Amino acid sequence: MDYIPLSFVSILFFCACSASPPNFILLFADDLGFGDLGCYGHPTSLTPNLDRLAAAGLRFTDFYCTSPVCTPSRASLLTGRYQTRSGVYPGVLYPGSIGGLPLNETTIAEVLKPQGYATAAVGKWHLGVGANGTYLPTRQGFDEYLGIPYSHDMGPCRNLTCFPPDVKCFGLCDVGTVTVPLMKNDAIIQQPVNFLDLEKAYSDFATSFIITSATKKQPFFLYYPSHHTHYPQYAGPEAAGRTLRGPFGDSLFEFDNTIGNLLETLEKTQIINNTLIFFTSDNGPELMRMSRGGNAGLLKCGKGTTYEGGMREPAIAFWPGTIQPGVTHEMASTLDILPTFASLAGAKLPTVMLDGVDMTEILTNQGKSKRETMMFYPTDPSEMYGLFALRMGKYKAHFYTRGATHSGTTPDQDCPVFAVLKAHDPPLLFDLEADPSEHYPLTLFGRPDLQEVVDKIMKEKEKFEATMVFGRSEISKGTDPNLEPCCNPQCSPKPRCCQRPNP
Amino acid sequence: LTMRVLCTLTLSVFSVICSSLKVKASNPPNIIIMLMDDMGWGDLGVFGQPSKETPNLDAMAAQGMLLPNFYTANPLCSPSRAALLTGRLPVRNGFYTTNGHARNAYTPQEIVGGISKDEILLPQLLKKRGYISKIVGKWHLGHRPQYLPLRNGFDQWFGAPNCHFGPYNSSVRPNIPVYNNTEMVGRYYEEFKINKKTGESNLTQIYLQEAFDFILEQHASQQPFFLYWAPDATHAPVYASKSFLGQSQRGRYGDAVMELDDSIGRILSLLRSLHIENDTFVFFTSDNGAAVMSGPNESGSNGPFLCGKETTFEGGMREPAIVWWPGHIKEGSVSYELASVMDLYPTSLALAGISPPDDRTLDGLDLTPVLLKPSHTLQIRPIFFYRGNELMAVRLGQYKAHYWTWSNSWEEFKAGINFCPGQEVPGVTTHNQTEHTMQPLIFHLGRDPGEKFPLSVLSNEYQDALGRISSVVEQHQKSLVPAAPQLNMCDLAVMNWAPEGCEKLGKCLKAPKSEPWKCDWPH
Repeated sequence: MDYIPLSFVSILFFCACSASPPNFILLFADDLGFGDLGCYGHPTSLTPNLDRLAAAGLRFTDFYCTSPVCTPSRASLLTGRYQTRSGVYPGVLYPGSIGGLPLNETTIAEVLKPQGYATAAVGKWHLGVGANGTYLPTRQGFDEYLGIPYSHDMGPCRNLTCFPPDVKCFGLCDVGTVTVPLMKNDAIIQQPVNFLDLEKAYSDFATSFIITSATKKQPFFLYYPSHHTHYPQYAGPEAAGRTLRGPFGDSLFEFDNTIGNLLETLEKTQIINNTLIFFTSDNGPELMRMSRGGNAGLLKCGKGTTYEGGMREPAIAFWPGTIQPGVTHEMASTLDILPTFASLAGAKLPTVMLDGVDMTEILTNQGKSKRETMMFYPTDPSEMYGLFALRMGKYKAHFYTRGATHSGTTPDQDCPVFAVLKAHDPPLLFDLEADPSEHYPLTLFGRPDLQEVVDKIMKEKEKFEATMVFGRSEISKGTDPNLEPCCNPQCSPKPRCCQRPNP
Repeated sequence: LTMRVLCTLTLSVFSVICSSLKVKASNPPNIIIMLMDDMGWGDLGVFGQPSKETPNLDAMAAQGMLLPNFYTANPLCSPSRAALLTGRLPVRNGFYTTNGHARNAYTPQEIVGGISKDEILLPQLLKKRGYISKIVGKWHLGHRPQYLPLRNGFDQWFGAPNCHFGPYNSSVRPNIPVYNNTEMVGRYYEEFKINKKTGESNLTQIYLQEAFDFILEQHASQQPFFLYWAPDATHAPVYASKSFLGQSQRGRYGDAVMELDDSIGRILSLLRSLHIENDTFVFFTSDNGAAVMSGPNESGSNGPFLCGKETTFEGGMREPAIVWWPGHIKEGSVSYELASVMDLYPTSLALAGISPPDDRTLDGLDLTPVLLKPSHTLQIRPIFFYRGNELMAVRLGQYKAHYWTWSNSWEEFKAGINFCPGQEVPGVTTHNQTEHTMQPLIFHLGRDPGEKFPLSVLSNEYQDALGRISSVVEQHQKSLVPAAPQLNMCDLAVMNWAPEGCEKLGKCLKAPKSEPWKCDWPH
């Protein structure tokens, strides 16, 4: 007897919920490899909350970012377009960079704003600061921002504390530039940043943003790109020394704790069933950091390279009640997040050439991907070389291969910087399903079926490159030391005088 | 009235408790050990394999406990299997060789030796509590009559004594026999087909059926059972049944994994449908690391670990391991405890309520406290990595010290046999047997599970770890009494020419004259 009214209530409740557009939380890890999470087979990482997302959500095995380094990868994530179109290449932006993500590009935040979304970014921006903060998140569709606008190693760190009680950061980081600032919207509130308190500030900022939006019954988009697993790793008192995996494990654990806080807040505010959480990483692990770097699992090489280790990423989609728990082997990419969020929110897509496809079908139905190919550009894309590799179905063809400093100190001779640029004609072909580690190139000789695959891939490459219009390079605009964020703009001598200890 | 209801209730609750206790006391759980052949740590979806071959194993892990720090006792099959069934290191149970320094030896059909009669195998002890034991699949503890399963504690056997290599020209070398209990019922490539060209063989299906029949039989007769299920489809030459061929995305190896996964799913479902899942302890693992030298078509993956089969790096000896026992083991739990295949011996005895033999050193520990209560931790225990007669490495906590390193010889390496494809770590994956006993290479496996970045010998961390490991090694070596090596002698006359039962089938072959020689073990 009790049953009927109860289920009625829940049906009504569900209807009420699904009528309002879903909230989005986009979690973006830094230099985290395919093999770094417990749920992706790392034997000593401690990631209970991410594992929980994976167990109750959809875990991707074939998910790609668009660049083996962070700035271009982030540009593609937020715009749904290869970085070559937006001009966010080659390499990464620096504190004094003149350029940034062009303002005429449409970010996910800008796509969602017209639908009434509250938007916030917290953490590592790395898409430009520029003169008077031209390129900061608040100029790119985010209502609020708290974070470091670039990598946290882009300022001297030798005297900074990365772990309690006073363990100095490992290495020197970038010297000859301002210390790393913490910004609230477009103002510097702390310089250098205090790493031991940072995560608590982020977590508080993010949870209060969720609570405020939930109270106002306003749909929201929270973008949390974390710094944690990038060199130099850091962690506050709650996480330091808690894992078997040392500094890297502790910093990953701290990030995971924040994810736990977000989940708890979503549960408390009772909006967890109307919130899509998407987790992935910007590029492969920085293997040159050895045991302080990430882990690519069974994939070849890491950050900086166009091998799988450089660009295949862990990815998890979590949305209780809407996404069924499971694993998907469909090919998908950071490019697909913008069209997917837009479709779920009923928002209009920007009227530009988009490279992403809507993956709602994969999420809600464990269906097929609309994505047939994935393009691999190197850290320094150019019209002259074009694509370095292309994946179509289970086959990946490398037209060029090259090692990278970021993937140094690895036993595989193809990974370090000494493996110079090599052209492959015919392309180096791998079957990523039989050989995900790219150890055994396929021989075309006497295999007309494989020759046919190569022909098809070459046709796709041609077709794609014919439509590719390279945007003007933003990063080649260079740097100007006067643009480096300084809390005390008139002081001297720079960069040393730019100091503000407490927020 | 209320009083009466209460009384009956109390009574019935009491009787339920009593009867459950009684059930516990009289009926120890059934034990199933599923041992894969050359399957790697990284072959399971739950350990990060991107292929889609193991939904049943992944579900088994979700319903049971995952052990990410589980080791075999040797990087090669025969010694590993001998260690499982005796609870003792190969150097203690005799399954090793002294023909060369630090060589892996096993039981090809020219081997003269086998499991020593001085060893007490697990099924022999389980008999004390009325267990009926069956092995299905590969035995590999010696193929001469005195070494076979039914002479060593098992009540039933369906399978083969050796690897499924072949086919052979019977005048030079007999094909490997397949036994049903004490008699052969045919030979591989003859009655039991393996098509090396297509990779087709229905052996896994036969082994599955044998497991089914055994479980149903024992269930009907209400007797506790021990099933040692040891299929070998993932060992080269890799095979799968027709309905699985071409189904996976990893080629023939993936097909074999899929079929094994499917079979495991069916066995677990059978237990559920018989309502004995709460009375059956199931353990899944593999005998050694993936045979990465046979890649890509006939090799699995060792995930983030270094090298594979034949080596004492993590890839050679860290194994996937899942424990499943609904109602007793917390579902979805993970234990990071260091554990070994040798622990299955005392653990099974503990489950059966039998005390382990007290006249010998056991290397395994009883894992039941850890399995039944994940927060429980064992004493700090080392893991020993032997290759033949040499202690190559030791793991203690997160630290692993290599006293000797060797992948394979330059000779073999130059001939194209690569034990560590894509993973040549200078000074670590050495092609000469390299001694580091004065200054072992030490890795912190927590930070560096891939054994790529040795700790600096000047660091305090190194000195501290070395100090602790050295005392453990000293203690181990001081008390170690090696058994007589069983795997030194070979002879063509001892091959499977005329196994018991061959007359009935007309399949006896004539053995050549006995000419024993010292076996050559190149790895």
